[in-house]
Amino acid sequence: MSLQESGVDSPAGIDRRRFLGLAAAGLSAVALAACSGPATSATSSSKTPGQVDLSGVKPAGKITWWSNNPGSSQAVSQQIIDAFHRSQSAIRVELVTAGASYEDIAQKFQAAQAGGSLPDLVVFSDVWWFRYYMLDSIIPLDSLISAVGIDTSDYRDQLLADYQYAGATWAIPWARSTPLFYWNKAHWAAAGLPDRAPKTWDEFAEWAPRLNAANHGIQHAFQLPALAGYAGWSFQNNLWGWGGGWSAKDSFDITCDSPRSVAALQFLQDAVYKGKWSGVASKDSTNDLSAGAVSATIGSTGSLVGILKVAKFEVGAGFLPGGPEATSPVCPTGGAGVGIPKKIPRENQLAAATFIKFLTSPENTLLFAQATGYMPVRKSAKTASLVAKAPQSQVAIDQLAVTRAQDWARVFLPGGDQEMAGACANILTQRGDVGGQMNALKKTLETIYTTQVKPHL
Amino acid sequence: MFLAFAAPNVALIVIFTYRPLILNIYYSTLNWTLGAPTAQAVGLRNYVTFFTSSEARQVLTTTAVFTVATVGLSMGLGLLVALGLNRKVPGAGFAQATVFSPFVLSGVGVGLAWQYLFDPTVGALGAILRQVGLSSPQWFNNPSLSLVMVILVYVWKNLGYAAVIYLAGLQSVSRDVLEAAAIDGANRRRTLISITLPLLSPTTFFLMVTSILNSLQAFDLIRVMTPLGRGTTTLIYDAYLQAFGGYNQAGYSATISTVLFAILVILTLIQLVLLERRVHYL
Repeated sequence: MSLQESGVDSPAGIDRRRFLGLAAAGLSAVALAACSGPATSATSSSKTPGQVDLSGVKPAGKITWWSNNPGSSQAVSQQIIDAFHRSQSAIRVELVTAGASYEDIAQKFQAAQAGGSLPDLVVFSDVWWFRYYMLDSIIPLDSLISAVGIDTSDYRDQLLADYQYAGATWAIPWARSTPLFYWNKAHWAAAGLPDRAPKTWDEFAEWAPRLNAANHGIQHAFQLPALAGYAGWSFQNNLWGWGGGWSAKDSFDITCDSPRSVAALQFLQDAVYKGKWSGVASKDSTNDLSAGAVSATIGSTGSLVGILKVAKFEVGAGFLPGGPEATSPVCPTGGAGVGIPKKIPRENQLAAATFIKFLTSPENTLLFAQATGYMPVRKSAKTASLVAKAPQSQVAIDQLAVTRAQDWARVFLPGGDQEMAGACANILTQRGDVGGQMNALKKTLETIYTTQVKPHL
Repeated sequence: MFLAFAAPNVALIVIFTYRPLILNIYYSTLNWTLGAPTAQAVGLRNYVTFFTSSEARQVLTTTAVFTVATVGLSMGLGLLVALGLNRKVPGAGFAQATVFSPFVLSGVGVGLAWQYLFDPTVGALGAILRQVGLSSPQWFNNPSLSLVMVILVYVWKNLGYAAVIYLAGLQSVSRDVLEAAAIDGANRRRTLISITLPLLSPTTFFLMVTSILNSLQAFDLIRVMTPLGRGTTTLIYDAYLQAFGGYNQAGYSATISTVLFAILVILTLIQLVLLERRVHYL
């Protein structure tokens, strides 16, 4: 029964035809709304960094900081914020837990670029900040660094250099880490091994049968880190030790299929399938070590505090082993820094930079390191108390001197890390042909570079 | 008056359902990096890329296996559980609550708990197997086993839903019909096949439609248990990985989402047109 038939007057004289007309107009509006996404253009344009003009800018009174609280750092981050509030009254900082991982926080940050509420300070992981740079989502910090008086010469050079590109600094080191070689000292002693990390992987391959023989009940002498999120990072150690790499040093020239790179990954596959002295972690290899199920593994310095809390045995920590071609530098840096979005008011950017200075001060980087295991990022941080509490921390600090900047293929190619993890998974859990997997990986990485990176450079 | 009552709901549906749908279709024609202010219009190139890639075959196969297995097992086991619960025995209410409770649990929580149980090195299942001299299957590192693992957990979580719906259906079957069948000499098996199951066909139809829709959109368990998606990348998870998993290809992700939407529409129409004819309503 229509409105007219039912005797009900249609509002504003709307009849069926007019209603359909309005409906069509509504749909048209929706269709038009569909055009309100990203602006379309023929090509992407490259850019040169422009520093923030701070003339006449006063810091904002309140800023938000998005963090994924790496290394269970929420409490210590809040502690530092509280201390910042006590030290001054002009700027309030609100800590927002924006995810549980670097990927989570990246999702939210990138989604917020499309019109959501942006934070004033964000955690940038080593594999994400360059994407923000390419998307023009973040600002170079140099003018802010000068304005608030951050002494960049006091930051550890390798860590600061990780965020420098195109003549500008895009983030400040904060929760920085390297991989460490962790071992169970009781297992070592039972096998009669020297109380140190192996100097090379070949040396550990000789030790592994002794560990297995002397420690009944362990599942493997060594546990490779879980491949999701760690393969691309930690296996750089093996690739560099064998003289290879995901890509050539400081270059987008993909070299993962070179004979030396293939030999490095073949060594790992043989450890799993031929020597059978290594397993592959399903989730977290440091948990497997802490549970006593394996004798050694590789994990982030950010896992140190957690391992020491859980393990019921004495834990050793040492430099990463080298390979037949190189024993140093074979350790990548990792972790995260903090940076500032572009599409926020300059007042907020200035306030965020003011807080960065406090957050990464020598005292606070030490406090953060004590709570999490991440490395102090300042040269002048007095690490004696840190080392006294956890002597293993000294190893991470010492190893920093022999670190190497990560391969660009891992940190600068969107999805490169995932592709590396997938290829390594095929090699180490499906016994895939190493050469074939690396050939396929090279093609994929080169396609990513050509389509997604090169147009932005 | 009609517009006054209908407008708020229509507006909500348009804003929160149809607008995103149309936007998604529009984005599927762009080469757009998530977060970028600009994008390039590429027409149907994303669709050509998807359908000509080996990845598409793998993803569609995984989606089909996951959907058939989870829907089939959830409904089959749900019916068996419902038949068991339909008897008047002590503790039936407690059993119903126990069977149904996993359905209301958070998928993330369920995934984390089962992740611990399945962990080959430090998990409970591996420990039990080692006690009897067996080694644990590599649930997380073997793609085929990863799919099996996720299917098992999904079925465990959703079994209760099918069981409770079937139980409600069983309890609405007319006693008169069952008594007439008994008087005619039908045994329990014959009664189940010839009387109960046909009378449950509306319930089966409803469950099939909702279970297929839910299964095709299953995300949380897959995300938590297998973040790389090796062996478990269904269409919905592929859409997530492409946009948010490191690749940031929002346009390509929208293409996959649109393909999934088309599949959902086609499957629902097939069910409505073909299967509903076989449904017996009393």
